[in-house]
Amino acid sequence: MKHISPNQVAADAPARPPTRRALAKQQTRQKVLAAARRLFSEQGYEGATIRDIAAAAGMSTGAVFANFTDKSDLFREIMVDDMEALVTSMREAAERGRNVEDALLKVFMAGYTFYKTRLQLARAAFSVSWDRDGGPSLRGLPSSLAFQELFTEQLASAVTRGELSQEAEVKLRSQMLMDTYLSNFPQAIFEGWSLDALQARARDQIRILLAGARRG
Amino acid sequence: MTAEANPLPEATPVRQSQKEATRRRVIAAARELFDAHGYEGTTIREIARHAGVAVGSVFTTFASKGEILSEVMAARLELLYAEVDRVMPHVRGSTVDRLRTMFAIHFEFEARHVRLFLAHIAAAFDHTLSGAARPYGRNEHFQQVIRDILQAGIRAGEVRPDIDMQEAVDLMMAAYAWTYRIVVTTEADAKALIAVMDRQLGLIVAGLAPER
Repeated sequence: MKHISPNQVAADAPARPPTRRALAKQQTRQKVLAAARRLFSEQGYEGATIRDIAAAAGMSTGAVFANFTDKSDLFREIMVDDMEALVTSMREAAERGRNVEDALLKVFMAGYTFYKTRLQLARAAFSVSWDRDGGPSLRGLPSSLAFQELFTEQLASAVTRGELSQEAEVKLRSQMLMDTYLSNFPQAIFEGWSLDALQARARDQIRILLAGARRG
Repeated sequence: MTAEANPLPEATPVRQSQKEATRRRVIAAARELFDAHGYEGTTIREIARHAGVAVGSVFTTFASKGEILSEVMAARLELLYAEVDRVMPHVRGSTVDRLRTMFAIHFEFEARHVRLFLAHIAAAFDHTLSGAARPYGRNEHFQQVIRDILQAGIRAGEVRPDIDMQEAVDLMMAAYAWTYRIVVTTEADAKALIAVMDRQLGLIVAGLAPER
């Protein structure tokens, strides 16, 4: 389910059923997105230009601009697709967890496994998200908020089950879990950590972050 | 910091001092421009103009814009750590309070130049930069101060002796860096950042405490 803001609805909702022209436009979009994904992965966000992306997609820069307002628009679209797919697989992973600690570890690992083959794209995403202009637009996306929600839900249900104390400060803890999850990416991106190494580290981190809530 | 490792032979003393002067002017100019316009919003050409040197001589002194940023940060941090080293031996209180004080000093210092700090983190993920130009998170001095506080905590029985020291340090560094995100989304001041970090440190240190 895609969350759509009222503004988007107004802009996107077609007045009539899709025409052949609309379908062709849709195909063009897909071609541009595929080319952009490849170039962002190979050259990072700053390294890939709209001109390169257009060339790789076999079309004019004008045709790209007819579909996307700018490079950040294009990048955001790719991120949204990935994040939606990832949140779904994280949710499934969490359901297989034996307890809150195990469920969170499985969530972390679903993310690292997903990005293991997309590390350059992950790097580009971090670079943009720390940008003062790019950051807010990327973080405010419904799919990034869904990540945060996922951690909150896991903690809240652990409180309900009595695994964590009532005073578990769910909001702060879930924020920190998410930050910690993200903070391991540099190790994966720049130091080539294996999934096993990431898992060992993540297990300890989760244990430390939950410890205070257990003693409650 | 690694500038001395440059094996280029015998620049004459005059030439060397000219080069050093250029370096200093470029760093000072870059610092102002990064702070005002951010890392992406500043070009090498503008830095050269602001420093009053030729674009070419910027390129003979620095390999990339990222390297300039690294040097800008290193120069600033020297001042900060002179202060931290002076103050920390006299800071009293529990492990968590000492950590809170230390991070508060950092926020207070960086909050005056938040754009610069954010640029620093963003640059850490810029693929065009060489490893040498990725200083964030490798600040050995900062990490050593945290380790010292944790060691003292172990001696005082407030921290488990068997913790993985590097892991604990990284966890705090992550919380520290991510706290700046609040600045990106809202216009938080140092006081707000310190309040958030205080809570996070409380939680982490509770997780490092001996089992009861």
